[in-house]
Amino acid sequence: MKNKSTKVINKPLQAKKVPSFLVSISAVILGVIAGSILILIIGKNPIVGFERLLFGAFSNKRRIGNTLSMSTQLILMGLSFSFAYKTGLFNIGGSGQMLMGGIVSTILGHYLPSSLPKPVYIVIVVIGALAIGGLWGLIAGFLKAKFNVHEVVSSIMLNWIAYWLVYDFIPRFVKDQAIAVKSKPLDFSRTLGLEWLRKATGMSTLNLGFLFAIIACVVIWFILEKTTLGFNLKAVGANKYCAEYAGIKIQKSIMISMAIAGALAGLAGLTYYCGYSNLMEMGKMPNEGFDGIAVALLGNCSPIGVFFAAIFFGALKMGKGSLAATGIPTELADTIIATIIYFTATSVIIASFWNKIYKKRYEKKKAKLEGEEKK
Amino acid sequence: MKKTIALALALLLCFSVFAQGAAETKTETPALKVGMVTDSGTIDDRSFNQGTFEGVKKAAEEFGLECTYLRPSGTTTTDYVTAITDLYDAGYRFIACPGFLFADAVAQVQAMYDDLMLVIIDDALSAGIGANSVAVVFKEHESGFLAGLATALKLEEGSVGFLGGMEIPSVQKFNWGFQQGVIYANENYGTKITMDPSNFVYSGSFADIALGQQIANTLFSKGVDAVFCAAGTTGVGGLNETKNRALSGENVWAVGVDVDQYYEGDLGNGKSCILTSAMKDVTGVAYDMVKAAVEGKFPGGTLLTLGVADDRAGIPASNPNLTPEIEAKVAEVAALIKAGTVVVRDNGAGLIK
Amino acid sequence: MSHVIEMLGIRKEFPGIVANDNINLQVEEGEIHAILGENGAGKSTLMSILFGLYQADKGVIKVRGKEVSIKSPNDAFDLGIGMVHQHFQLVHNFTVAENIILGKEGGFVYDIKSASKKIKEISKRYGLEIEPDMVIEDITVGMQQRVEILKMLYRDADILIFDEPTAVLTPQEIDELMTIMKNLAAEGKSIILITHKLDEIKRVAKRCTIIRRGKFIGVVDVATTSVNEMAAMMVGRPVSFKVDKAPKTPGEAVLEVENLNVLNNKGVLGVKDFSLSVRRGEIVGIAGVDGNGQTELIEAITGLRKIQSGSIKFLGDDISSLSIKERNEKGLGHIPEDRQKRGLILSFPIASNMVIKDFDKAPFSKNGILDKDAIRKYSQEIVDKFDVRSGEGIDSLAGMLSGGNQQKAIIGREVTEDPDLLIAVQPTRGLDVGAIEFIHQAIVAQRDKGKAVLLVSFELDEIFNLSDRIAVINAGRLIDIVKTEDTDVHDVGLMMAGIKAEKKEENK
Repeated sequence: MKNKSTKVINKPLQAKKVPSFLVSISAVILGVIAGSILILIIGKNPIVGFERLLFGAFSNKRRIGNTLSMSTQLILMGLSFSFAYKTGLFNIGGSGQMLMGGIVSTILGHYLPSSLPKPVYIVIVVIGALAIGGLWGLIAGFLKAKFNVHEVVSSIMLNWIAYWLVYDFIPRFVKDQAIAVKSKPLDFSRTLGLEWLRKATGMSTLNLGFLFAIIACVVIWFILEKTTLGFNLKAVGANKYCAEYAGIKIQKSIMISMAIAGALAGLAGLTYYCGYSNLMEMGKMPNEGFDGIAVALLGNCSPIGVFFAAIFFGALKMGKGSLAATGIPTELADTIIATIIYFTATSVIIASFWNKIYKKRYEKKKAKLEGEEKK
Repeated sequence: MKKTIALALALLLCFSVFAQGAAETKTETPALKVGMVTDSGTIDDRSFNQGTFEGVKKAAEEFGLECTYLRPSGTTTTDYVTAITDLYDAGYRFIACPGFLFADAVAQVQAMYDDLMLVIIDDALSAGIGANSVAVVFKEHESGFLAGLATALKLEEGSVGFLGGMEIPSVQKFNWGFQQGVIYANENYGTKITMDPSNFVYSGSFADIALGQQIANTLFSKGVDAVFCAAGTTGVGGLNETKNRALSGENVWAVGVDVDQYYEGDLGNGKSCILTSAMKDVTGVAYDMVKAAVEGKFPGGTLLTLGVADDRAGIPASNPNLTPEIEAKVAEVAALIKAGTVVVRDNGAGLIK
Repeated sequence: MSHVIEMLGIRKEFPGIVANDNINLQVEEGEIHAILGENGAGKSTLMSILFGLYQADKGVIKVRGKEVSIKSPNDAFDLGIGMVHQHFQLVHNFTVAENIILGKEGGFVYDIKSASKKIKEISKRYGLEIEPDMVIEDITVGMQQRVEILKMLYRDADILIFDEPTAVLTPQEIDELMTIMKNLAAEGKSIILITHKLDEIKRVAKRCTIIRRGKFIGVVDVATTSVNEMAAMMVGRPVSFKVDKAPKTPGEAVLEVENLNVLNNKGVLGVKDFSLSVRRGEIVGIAGVDGNGQTELIEAITGLRKIQSGSIKFLGDDISSLSIKERNEKGLGHIPEDRQKRGLILSFPIASNMVIKDFDKAPFSKNGILDKDAIRKYSQEIVDKFDVRSGEGIDSLAGMLSGGNQQKAIIGREVTEDPDLLIAVQPTRGLDVGAIEFIHQAIVAQRDKGKAVLLVSFELDEIFNLSDRIAVINAGRLIDIVKTEDTDVHDVGLMMAGIKAEKKEENK
C-alpha cells in the first residue's frame, strides 16, 4: 500500500481471483445444462423434466419435508468430509462411521427402557452416535498418526468392518422376525421424528436430525473460525511442516480431526437410520459416505456451502423420482448428479476458466489505460 | 457469509426459472397407467426386476397402456414410499413392487391412496393386506425340488452343493426343496448323489460377485459337480466360476434361480453350463395382475401363494442340457406335486441348514 | 572495439508486470560483462530473450553487428551463444564425453573417439582439467559446472552466459571458476555474467550493466566504480555491507551441545559427535557446504528430529527430550531454512502466521476461543516494525508476498518473541541486497541485546560479516571453532573441505 511500484513487483499476475461460490454455481449450472442436453437427446423437454424434478422435491409440504430430511445426512456427511479435509485428511470412511452410528442408535432405541422421557432418550442416542462415530474415525486417525497408515486405506477397511459388524448385530440384537435382512423397525417415539412436525409436513420424514445438522454446521463453523482448536487443525491441514515447526502436535491433531469427522458421520447414521428411516438393512453400504464428498466439494468445504450443497443434492435425489415418472429413465437423474460431481471435482478447470476471463478483462483495462496515457 | 447468501439466492433463482414451467398443468388421461418400482437391483438384473417388468410391459403393450419403472434413490422404506408416490403423482394407478424389501413401504402407501392398485411380490404383507393390494408369494421349495430332481437325474452320480445369499426364508426354502428333490431322485430313480453339509453355503450377500466366485471355486475344488446358485448377484459370481471351469474342459454345472438363467451360463459355443433353473414366474404373475386390473378383476386384499400347481413355480420347460427323458421324468413328478401325491416340505427338518 | 552483442530498447511485458522496460546491453568481444540486479529485477528475462526462450515485445538484438531474430535456443546455438544454467543439465550416470555429445551426435553412428579428443583439447586449452571418460556422478559440483562450460565450448559457442554460477560452489571452487572465466576471455570468448554478488563482479568483470525493477540504470566500468556505488545503483539508495557491530564480551552459555549424534534421512549418522556452545551476546556462525549435517543439527536442537545420543542443554537444562512447543516456550526462536515449507503457512493470512506459535496463549486466545482483535493488533505491530510489504497488509495471504517480505515476516515473528537463543538458517537466501541488509541488522540487534544467535549459512560472506565465532562443519563433524578475527575465507574454505588449519601448518 505504501509503495505502489513495489506492490506490482511483489505481486505479478494479480488479476482478480474467482470466488469459490461462483465456481460452485458454475458447476451446478453446467451440470444442469449437461442434464438438459441429455434429456433433449432422448427426445423429451428439459423444461418439463426440471419442472418435474422441482415438483418432486418441493411441490408440497410432505415433499419439502422429505427433501430436507434427505438433506440432513448429506449435510452431516458433507461436514464430516469437509472437516477432515480442512485438516488435510481424506475421510472416505464416512460410510462406516455412519453405519456404526446407525447400529448403536438402533440398538439403543430398542434396548433403552420405553419409560425414558424422550428428551433424555434423544440426548443418550445422540451421545451414543457421536461417540461410536468418533471412535471409528479415531481408529483411522490413530493408525495414521502412530503407524502412518494412510487414512484412505484404513477407513475403507473400517467401512467393511462396520458393514460386517452391522451384518452380525442386526440378527443378533435387533432381529426382525418378518423380514430377516432388516432390523426391527423402531417405534416412532424412539426415532428422531416429532409427532407435530410429521403432521405439519404432511407425514414427511422430517425430524429433529435437521435441527442437529444446522447446529452441527454452526458448531463446526465456530470451531474452524473462532477457536484455537480450529486454528490448530487448519494449520496442520494447510502446512504440516510449518505446524510441526510451530510446536503443534501433528499426530494429536490428526486423531482429533478424524474423531470429530467420525462423530459427525456417526450423527448422520442416527439421523438416517432413526429419523429418515426407522430400520437398518443388512448388506447395505450407505451411499451417503460418497455423496458427502461431492457435497463437500460443491460446498467448497465451508459449513454454509455444505448446507446449501446438501439441500441441492437432497432435492435432486428427492426429485428424480418424479422426473423419471415422466418416462425419463431414473438413471438420467443420476447422470445429472454425476455430471455435477464431475464439474465440481474439476472445479480447478472452472476456476482457471474464470481466472482467464478476469485476466483478459484486466489486460484490456490496462491496455486501455495505457492507450489513454499515451494520448 | 455474503458469498453463501449469494449462493443460496442463485440456487433459488435457478430453481425458479424451472418452476415457471410448473405452472403449465397437464390434462390427466383417464387410461390406466402401469408402473413398477425396482428394488435394490437394477432393471436389467435378469432376475426379479427385469422379470416383473417384462410381464408388466407385455401386458401394457397388449392392452395399449402407458408403462414405466422407477429406481428409488435408496433402499429404505422412505425411498420406496417416495418412488411409489412419485409414480402415483404422475398418474400411475397400478404399481408392481418386486421384492420383500417393499413390505413396509407397501403397508404405508396402501393406507394413503384408495385408488392405487399395489402388487407386492415375494412378501406376504404380514402386517395386513389392504383392500387395494395383492401380496404374492411363491413355493420356492417346489421349484427347488424340481431343480434338485433334474440335477440328480442329469448327474446320476456325484456331489451337489449350494451357494445361497442371505440366510432368509425364501433362500432357505429353495435350498430345502433342492435337497428334497435330490433325495427323491436317489430314492426313486436310483441316482447316487451325495450332499455334504460343508458344501451348503450361505454367502451372506446378494451383491458380491467376487465372493460368489470364490465360494463356487472352493466348492468345485472339493469335488462338487453341480452348484445351485441362489444368491442374486453373488450367485452370478458362482455362475461365472462354473462357466470358467466348463470352458477349461471340466464337467461342472450350475443351477440358476428365480428366472431361467440358461443364457447367463452361455459358453459362447451355443452351449451353457446352466443345467436348469429353480424359477419363480414373476413375469407371468405381473402379466396376470395387470390383465386382472384392466379387466376390473384385480384381486385386492388377497394373498396369492403360487406354486407348481399354479404353473408359477418350477423349472423351465426345456433346457438343452437335459435329455427329453429327464424332462419327461421331471414333468411326471411335477404332475404328482400338482395332484398332491408328492408333498414338498417348506421347512428344513432333517435337512442341511 | 566492436560489439559482439547488442540488445537495444528491449521491452518485455508479462500480464501485470513489465519485466524489461527499454533495456540496453552492449557486450564487447573478449569482455566479461556482468549484469547486476536484485532478484526479480529482470536479469533472467533479459537473458531468456537473448537465449531464445522468450521473444521481446519491442527492441532490436544484434549479434556481431547483424540484426537477428532468436526464436529458440537452437537459433541461439547457431549464433554461437551458449548458456551455463544454474541447474546443470547433465545425465548422472553418463560419462563427460557422452554428456557433451548428447543431442549433438551428428549422425546415426556417433564417434566418441574424436569427440573425446576434442574434449581433451578444449579442456587443456582453457585449463578445465576435465577428462572425457569421467562419470558425472563421481565428480564434484565444481567439475560438473566445468562440464557444462565444456559443452558450450564443444559446440563452438563464443558467447557464454553464466547464470549465477557461484551459488553452488565452495570458495576454492569459485576461485577456480574465476580463473577459467579469465582464460576464456583471454582466448577471445565473450562472457555475460549474471549475478548479485558484487565481489565477483569486482574480481573478473570489465564492465557491468545494472538493472533495477525492469529498468536500465546504467553501465559502469568496474575498475573505476566502487562496490558501494554499484550496490547503490542496484538498490536505488546507499547500502552498507559491513554490518555495524561493536565488540562485545559474551556472557554465560545459552546453548550447550555435547557429543551429539543425529541420524539423517538415509538412516546414517548425519551429525557425528558434535559439540558446540553459544553464549549470550555472541553470534556463532556454522560454515559448511550444503548437506554436511547443518539441517540435522538444527533440527535436533529445535526438536524436529530425534537425537541418537549426546545432550542439548539450554540455559542449563537438558532439552533433548522436550517437545518442540516446550522448547519454543523456553525461549528458543528459529528462522527455518525453508521459509515456504516450514516458516509460513502460505494459504493463511499474515495475521495468522504471526501467531502460529502462540495462538493458544493469552492474549491471542482465551478458553480456546481466538481473540482476533488481539491477533490483528500484534501482527500489525510486527508488520509495521519490520516493514513487511504486501497488498492487503496483515490480511494478505503469506503466499502472495515476495520472498524478502516473507522472510521479514518470519524474522519479525521470531525476534518479537525475544528468544534467548535465535537460530537463523540461511536467513537471506535468495533475497536482494536491501532485504539482506535489513535482516542482518535485525540479527545483530538480537546479539547486541545480549541474546545468543546461532547462524547457519552457505554464504561465507554472511558468516564472516555476522559471526563472532565460526564453527566449520564437514560431513557431520565439527572441524574447528575459530574466532572470526583470527581466520580468513581461505582457511575456512579449507576446513569446509575437511582440512583442519593445524594440518596445513604442519605441512608447511
